[in-house]
Amino acid sequence: MKISLLHAIQDAANQALPDSTDGIVHTAYDSLWTGADIPTQTPSALEQVMLADDKIFVVLAVVMIIWIGIIILVMRTDKHLKSVERSVEENIPNQDDGL
Amino acid sequence: MSTLKVNVKRYTLIRNLVFAWLTAVILAGFLLNIPKINILEHTARNLYFHVPMWFTMMAAAFVSGYHSLKVLQTGDEIRDIRALQAARVGTFFGILGLTTGIVWSRFTWYVGTDVWWNFDPRQIMVTIQLLIYGGYFVLRSAFDEPKKRAKISAVFNLFAMTALPFLLYVIPRQMDSLHPGAEGNPAFSQITAPVMRLVFYPAIIGFIGLFWVLYTQRVRVAWLKYRVTQEAEM
Repeated sequence: MKISLLHAIQDAANQALPDSTDGIVHTAYDSLWTGADIPTQTPSALEQVMLADDKIFVVLAVVMIIWIGIIILVMRTDKHLKSVERSVEENIPNQDDGL
Repeated sequence: MSTLKVNVKRYTLIRNLVFAWLTAVILAGFLLNIPKINILEHTARNLYFHVPMWFTMMAAAFVSGYHSLKVLQTGDEIRDIRALQAARVGTFFGILGLTTGIVWSRFTWYVGTDVWWNFDPRQIMVTIQLLIYGGYFVLRSAFDEPKKRAKISAVFNLFAMTALPFLLYVIPRQMDSLHPGAEGNPAFSQITAPVMRLVFYPAIIGFIGLFWVLYTQRVRVAWLKYRVTQEAEM
């Protein structure tokens, strides 16, 4: 029998929290951290945007952070490259380029 | 002038354009409303990211093959480094395409089955294609003499390029597959929402541009290495 870690987690969550009848699957994630304070205020404007459409905007925010990080990384690498290219041009005389 | 030399100004300009373009593609990919389809739901948006990986790999294979062809035609062995870097970045995109496809199918058509590898014809064929490129990289390491390495690996690389359209497009369409376009139909069915084409085509252009940026950056490094050591990269 195949035992997957994901299934084990899911089973543990299901045991702790029996399914309700409202059609939404309940897992440990949806109530584990809300015990302390149940929010009473209405969602802020930012929350209203981020929670819309099955919270896809949260995924978008995560992807954009990663993407902008990659852009910065490539640009910084190019900057280093440029300075190394400059010092190679200055220090190594131009040889015959053919192999 | 060596064929390895990169026009840095042009590179920087295209790089910035590609980054801006792809940022817009990602934003549009997430923000534009698409019809909700059972099983697919929001994962239909993977069309914008998973599929362009393959177009990019194909473009990379053609760039790589072009330089290999030039090596054989003109005897300009230094171009071999360009062929190598294009093949490397292309293989990188191929691995991304394979991985994203595995994740996509696992949580849509194979939900509840625990199937990560489903032996879809495309999945098998692209694995073969990636192994062919693996063979290319291994073959290169068999030669100490740069001229010989450039020529023989150029021949193998042309074979890899020629095999790619058949393994990625022709054969999988003759078999039952998860992918649209099985049974010889056009890949884009009429049920694909028009709004998705609006993002999909720019995404292909953007990711091919990203390939160009990464490949050219590697060529710059290879050129520096060559200038300093006077040795071509394996």
